Amino acid sequence: MSPSGVRVAVTGLGLVTPVGIGRDEVWQGLLDGRSGFAPIESFDSSRFPVHLGAEVRGFHPELWLRILDPSQLGRASQLAAAAARMALDDSGIAGIAGIAGIDAARAGVVMGTTSGEPREVERFDDRYLAGGLDGLGPEFIGLYPCHMIAVHVAREVGFAGPVTMIPTACAAGNYAIAHAFDLLRAGRADVMLAGGADAFSRITYAGFSRLGAIAPERCQPFDRNRRGMIPGEGAGVLVLEPLPRALARGARVYAEVAGYGLSCDAHHMTAAHPEGDGAARAMQRALADAGIGPEDVSYISAHGTGTPTNDRLEILAVQRVFGAAAAKTPMSSIKSMIGHTMGAASAIEAAVCSLAVSTGRIPPTMNLEEPDGDLDYVPNHAREHDVRVAMNNAYAFGGNNASVIFQRAGA
Amino acid sequence: MRRVVITGAGALSPIADSPAALHTALCAQTSALKEVELFPLDTAGNVADLGPRHAGEIRPFEPKDYLGERNLRPVDRTARLLLVAAQQALESSGWTAEKRAEREVGLVLGTTFCSVRTIAEFDRRALQLGPSYASPMDFANSVINAAAGQAAIWHDLRGVNSTVAAGEASGLLALAYAADLIRGGRADAVLAGGAEELCFESFVGHQRAGRLGSVCTVPFDARRDGFALAEGAAMLFLEEAESAAARGAHVLAEICGYAESFAGDGEEASTADFADAVARAVRLAVADAGIVPADLGVLSLSANGGVRSDRAEALGIAAAGLADVPATAIKAMLGEALGASGAFQAVDLLGLFADGVLPGVLGFQAGDDGFPLSGIAAQTRTLDHQPRFGLLHSVAWDGQCCAVILEAK
Repeated sequence: MSPSGVRVAVTGLGLVTPVGIGRDEVWQGLLDGRSGFAPIESFDSSRFPVHLGAEVRGFHPELWLRILDPSQLGRASQLAAAAARMALDDSGIAGIAGIAGIDAARAGVVMGTTSGEPREVERFDDRYLAGGLDGLGPEFIGLYPCHMIAVHVAREVGFAGPVTMIPTACAAGNYAIAHAFDLLRAGRADVMLAGGADAFSRITYAGFSRLGAIAPERCQPFDRNRRGMIPGEGAGVLVLEPLPRALARGARVYAEVAGYGLSCDAHHMTAAHPEGDGAARAMQRALADAGIGPEDVSYISAHGTGTPTNDRLEILAVQRVFGAAAAKTPMSSIKSMIGHTMGAASAIEAAVCSLAVSTGRIPPTMNLEEPDGDLDYVPNHAREHDVRVAMNNAYAFGGNNASVIFQRAGA
Repeated sequence: MRRVVITGAGALSPIADSPAALHTALCAQTSALKEVELFPLDTAGNVADLGPRHAGEIRPFEPKDYLGERNLRPVDRTARLLLVAAQQALESSGWTAEKRAEREVGLVLGTTFCSVRTIAEFDRRALQLGPSYASPMDFANSVINAAAGQAAIWHDLRGVNSTVAAGEASGLLALAYAADLIRGGRADAVLAGGAEELCFESFVGHQRAGRLGSVCTVPFDARRDGFALAEGAAMLFLEEAESAAARGAHVLAEICGYAESFAGDGEEASTADFADAVARAVRLAVADAGIVPADLGVLSLSANGGVRSDRAEALGIAAAGLADVPATAIKAMLGEALGASGAFQAVDLLGLFADGVLPGVLGFQAGDDGFPLSGIAAQTRTLDHQPRFGLLHSVAWDGQCCAVILEAK
């Protein structure tokens, strides 16, 4: 891709998830198969037929934020800004008192989300129903619009380049990383924070509950008896920068972004294409963009929500794209542990791909008893595996599909 | 490098329902603002001081007049506005349904809320009746990419499908994003623009936050005290230049440069910092287009009556060396349509490229002390020199700036 076509490195990771906070805690939790599911605490679920959620517990944004006052932010912004701080610290770019060695005007933020700050709509509705118009204050417009997540991240870290929100639902993290990748490749920035964030919300929970998509007891992606997804929350942020720049400053490079592919089913708002048509096109396009074939992929981080239809289409699409290589390529879903963190999901999974590439380990698909189909789902135990190339798949409402490929730096 | 041209346009606004009619209505200085009827503002027996009640509402809006008898029930207002603008853009581009089946078309939509009304109504129904009465159809539309997804289904757009949110800068960011997809070889044809509906939640929210003007909403005018909200959708059909030439498409303009910037400190940012971000976006866009500021013959600016953002934009545009270039601020007529605004500016500029007429800034009397933009005028005028290059600029309340440069063809 012109003009510069520079290679892009992942040099920092920030994670806030239902199984832990921070890179090491999350990664260890995922390798150990830890569960992030518990009865919902953030709202009263008594009128719902299901009660499990994957909420982030023990999160204290004030431990991470240095500039912004967390009490003035929505929860998704808190999660995002904390993850951004962690990622920037991890990258070694951030100095104690600011940003060393980068031009803030060439440093940007692209974040993805499904719902933005849904709790602000909930607060609006609570107050409106209780007190009519008199109950409504000035905070709604200052906090609610989803772009405030990216804006808050940029304000927290002092970046002044491109600041964009990409609300493409449950594939949004991948869309954000893809867009940041393109901005770097086009020479429009020197460093980008890219990722996704979503807050646990009664709106999201009610919606998936009405679709009958929430599993009552556990999340079992790719199991024949899977009964659904479990909503979660979290944030994942990656530091992306040109590979030559990262190498020149002696940065630790987790992985290189090798390419991506996007597509749209144009079929149904909430149901995937029955043959996984769009999903397959996104994977094929990502492989072509990375200049590799399916046999070169050593790990697939699945969308793997655990709903009957998603997993079925994903299996079909992977079989279609990978052919004979499908059964030999490990594919796991961390949603079996952290639930579906919505717009954060593919950003967290992008961090997992980067860690799989850099550490040679693959997190498992937990709760897998009777595998559906003959793919290798890395059942129930983490695995040592030489991961040279990892593919991160994400699918969303609106028929949006996104696959991003990470490879070992210099591979 | 692959070049990006515009080969189709669509616009549905409170004052006109086609691109050509929009430019004509803006030049005639038709105001979109009238008392809101779309939603009740005296609900719950409450007569609190509501302040301004005017907005740019599309009234009447009968989607069937544009879209025919196909079932619109699952499609909410934002998506309906988008469907109409997208249909016009597709039709004018000549990229037919048969051709779309053969070669993918993408979509990049700019929006602030998509539909906060759909989300809030879904939530209120669940609260009042219980979660088992919440509507699954509304939930499908509650995601912020719902309108883009609905348009993909309606118009069979199977390429890249993305949504960008950056407040008032969303529409231009969508154009820049889509243009980069084409430049970078990721797409050959992309519909790009913005859509936003007017609704109770947005109106009351902006009003409570003190962002709506109650005395004067005239862009750049010293009396201004906020903006008026509006709604609508505008879409452009973007295409790789050689592909457009090969199929003999009528080229309306070329998108030759763009850039983004951010004023970091939010509400606390000094006007100087904010102006600096404006100037930076403009300078970078000029460089990206490979031109110099003196090449720009006309500016379509973002000013909407916002006290701080209008001032920052004026100072930033002047700092970029463009103080004397003929300029307009069409929100004087249209109001602030958030995600759709930048796309409306683009559609109007295409009209200006065709007839050389620059809409005046309705109601403009005098700017702030030291107002630097001599190119701003209250009256509509015919430009002395037909411009070759025009600048579109958007600045968002929360600090995102985006500049896009079009070249007349």
